[in-house]
Amino acid sequence: MGRNEVLVDADWAVAHLDDPKVVFVEVDEDADAYGVNHIRGAVGLNWRKDLQDGLRRDVISKEALETLLSAKGISNDDTIVLYGGNNNWFAAYAYWYLKLYGHQDVRLLDGGRKKWELDGRELVSNDTVRPATNYVAKPQDHSLRAFRDDVLKAIGVAGLVDVRSPDEFAGRLLAPAHLPQEVSQVPGHIPTASNIPWSKTANEDGTFKTNEELAALYEGAGVNLDNDVIAYCRIGERSSHSWFVLKELLGVKNVRNYDGSWTEYGSLVGVPVALGDEPGQA
Amino acid sequence: MSSCGAVVGGVSLEHVDVSRQAVIQGVVSKSDGPAHVGYVRLHDRNDEFVAEVPVSAVGEFRFFAAAGEWNVVALIPGGVARTKVQASLGEIVDIDVLVS
Repeated sequence: MGRNEVLVDADWAVAHLDDPKVVFVEVDEDADAYGVNHIRGAVGLNWRKDLQDGLRRDVISKEALETLLSAKGISNDDTIVLYGGNNNWFAAYAYWYLKLYGHQDVRLLDGGRKKWELDGRELVSNDTVRPATNYVAKPQDHSLRAFRDDVLKAIGVAGLVDVRSPDEFAGRLLAPAHLPQEVSQVPGHIPTASNIPWSKTANEDGTFKTNEELAALYEGAGVNLDNDVIAYCRIGERSSHSWFVLKELLGVKNVRNYDGSWTEYGSLVGVPVALGDEPGQA
Repeated sequence: MSSCGAVVGGVSLEHVDVSRQAVIQGVVSKSDGPAHVGYVRLHDRNDEFVAEVPVSAVGEFRFFAAAGEWNVVALIPGGVARTKVQASLGEIVDIDVLVS
């Protein structure tokens, strides 16, 4: 799949704001962001309220996603353009999520909400109302999703890519530096994982680097792009951003997102853990 | 489960034990007052990205970091400013960042 089929720039977005078959979807973790303002015609999804199972730790069910997208007025044959804050972390998570459930045409707005704002483009505050649809999702495609047992089997075998910051990888921090460091799971990383922070895939304005730069980044860190790859972070949203880079921009055939990520792995009993800046031994 | 998402202006200090972390916070301004729209990035001493938050409606931001030298990069429409700061555990570093 070509870069232009999965990534759109702001000019493309402006040209398609009134296209009835293109649905802009803002995805945030901050419940207030969409309500303050958003791209004209965009509908909003909240990472926590809409995309997390309210009872157990998991993505929502196929039936729940169908209900959600139908209520948002999204059809199976629509082109969904996702954007959001945090350099598109949560938009990339939603991209992975929609691919997990088989939506055909999903794209990311390059640079997300940040570049849109920094470029001084129009944002509106009025609610978007789209007629309800009858969205039908496919069963989860587990070739895109890694579970804890997949990760344990991958140690020393497949390419494990830890996309957190170097301090989180080494165990010096338990969470990103803009959050308090008061969480309970053990620090460190999955042995043999390469540390390639998500931030190295993006420019300062949030846009993705070129495919040539991205390939050089991963190959320079020793990741064999012909091998199976599993990306993880702390809760699976930053790793969705890197999953997008690997799968959709670089075309790595078998790359999965471990959405359990370090909050799950770092709490498992009896699994191997590595500390420090080096990948560690299997 | 808390997310990794950035809260506008940074996370509140309420219920946070600041004795165990270095806090870097401040206000981003432009020539006519606080920046209402913008982002602040925290880079380490090697200028590698560590974290980013959007500014609040009055230009505020806050990071929780380890002790050491940091680079604060403010992005607002039409301008960028970079400021070095030295942070220590248990201390709150307040800085004003002017983007001209």
